[in-house]
Amino acid sequence: MITFESVTKRYPGGTVAVDALDLQIPDGRTMVLVGPSGCGKTTTLRMINRLIEPSEGRILLDGQDIMQTRAAQLRRGIGYVIQQTGLFPHRTIEDNIATVPLLNGWPKARARERARELMDLVGLDAGMARRYPYQLSGGQQQRVGVARALAADPPVLLMDEPFSAVDPIVRGTLQDELIRLQAELRKTVVLVTHDVEEAIKVGDQVAVFYPHGKVAQIDTPEQLLGAPADDYVENFLGFDRGIRRLAFFPAVGLDLGTGTVLAADTPVGQARQAAKRAGESWVLVTSAERLPRGWAALAELESRDGHEVLGQVPLAPYGHTFRVSQDSLRAALDATVLSRTGLAVGVDDEGRVVGVTSYERLRAAIQAAEEAADSEGAGA
Amino acid sequence: MSWAWGNRGLLAHYLVQHLYLALTPVLFGIIVAVPVGVMCVRYRWTWPPILSLTSIFYALPSLALFSVLIDYTGLTDWTVIIPLTLFSLSVLIPNVVDGLRSVPAPVRQAADAMGFGSLRRVIQVELPLAMPVIIAGLRVATVSSISLVSVGQLIGIGGLGYFLVDGVQRDFPTEIYTALILILILALLADTVLVLLRRWVTPWEAGRRVRPGSRILTATWRGTSAGDAA
Repeated sequence: MITFESVTKRYPGGTVAVDALDLQIPDGRTMVLVGPSGCGKTTTLRMINRLIEPSEGRILLDGQDIMQTRAAQLRRGIGYVIQQTGLFPHRTIEDNIATVPLLNGWPKARARERARELMDLVGLDAGMARRYPYQLSGGQQQRVGVARALAADPPVLLMDEPFSAVDPIVRGTLQDELIRLQAELRKTVVLVTHDVEEAIKVGDQVAVFYPHGKVAQIDTPEQLLGAPADDYVENFLGFDRGIRRLAFFPAVGLDLGTGTVLAADTPVGQARQAAKRAGESWVLVTSAERLPRGWAALAELESRDGHEVLGQVPLAPYGHTFRVSQDSLRAALDATVLSRTGLAVGVDDEGRVVGVTSYERLRAAIQAAEEAADSEGAGA
Repeated sequence: MSWAWGNRGLLAHYLVQHLYLALTPVLFGIIVAVPVGVMCVRYRWTWPPILSLTSIFYALPSLALFSVLIDYTGLTDWTVIIPLTLFSLSVLIPNVVDGLRSVPAPVRQAADAMGFGSLRRVIQVELPLAMPVIIAGLRVATVSSISLVSVGQLIGIGGLGYFLVDGVQRDFPTEIYTALILILILALLADTVLVLLRRWVTPWEAGRRVRPGSRILTATWRGTSAGDAA
């Protein structure tokens, strides 16, 4: 647990970077500090490992005032990742990663062995161990930065805009990797970013800063999107937060329709009845293995002989699917909006059809999720 | 050629003296320049006065120094070594400072955040990264020192400079050319040794010097700010 007790950082000349900040960062979770440039988020982060020292107030790490530990000692117990990687250009990848173990006096062979383990953990090829940082891509360098920060297995990991210097595709991958690593390692992560999407994606908790060193709101991403504390936070979160919030509700909650999912060998007459019974104007035709093949329009079915089978009918493409067990209501909504039929196909992990959405079914699921979230928020 | 062969003993004697008189000041220079340079980067206010001082060293005519020093150190090697050391300092200190300042800020910050103490940071991170610039300064200081030693002959201690003065006095050009060629060879050899040293101590720079797809080395003589300083 990291605790800020009315911490203020005032620079000579009177600029207040952080203003009487109270903040509690629970163990094993990811806390994201987000806000515009100059809001004090980076100063806040750097005060945790004493790269910047507070002017007033106390910072406690597991109940102990950080000013009571020697700075170098404190820092070896706190991992640190920065934007421009800060890798040592004159050290090989393995020696970069082994930095803190070596500082702690590990024998070189053991430190390097540890470095190899970490390369594996962050998804770096072992063949890179003897290379120098300039020989790696930006994304790979950032992985080395993360591995180096984790080398001594510190309980706390500070990340200062770690992904902002890489291109959007690599950034997305690195964010996913961080989420995967964090699920495995459960470090106390404090991550600074100016990118609210990143904050919402990787944070268990997000602290939104006002422009001048005060915190506007600390909440889970889902609560933040659902109930911004004021106009500032709402503006900062940006457009379509209602839809983005759906990313936090699993698609499992959807009541998918199965009455109009029919195998290709079903007679057309039977399919017509099924569609009418369900009140739908499309049926989803599947293979014998329940893999989706396409949509058959009710109008088309009515123009045909009832003894034909669905496999003989021309089909509209089934479009984007979503995985029921892993995706969110946002993905289900997106697939539905993109579908020409206004219906989307939910599949299992093997791609077999589970059922189909409709706007009605989505509306019911969203409403149920909102009610559950509200009662949870009230209970907390 | 036959003159040189006939006097090989004398040539060798003065060659060794020349090397000794030229390299000792560079050695003293680097021993002093590194801590002073570290101090100038660490305590920024010390840099302007020290920069001014190095400029004075650079501008001081060796001749004037000889005549001042001769009252204290007499006709000893020190009378030559001291002025040349000051000259080396005028080249080396600015290069050490430039070299240390060329260390990227994120690297320095990362070192702090990893828990390096400040002395350890200097030794294990900053000085190794400053090496290309420091060695560039060493090359200038060494080559200059090798060429400047000859001036010492004016007080009778000048290494191969002996032959330059002797050759002029006896109006015997062979002697002059031989000494000149030897001085040039010394300078080139010393420079080559330093280039090899740089490659050896900065293996991480190897790939950067080679252009993609070619084996041609691009000569980089970075950060030789001695001229600017003077």
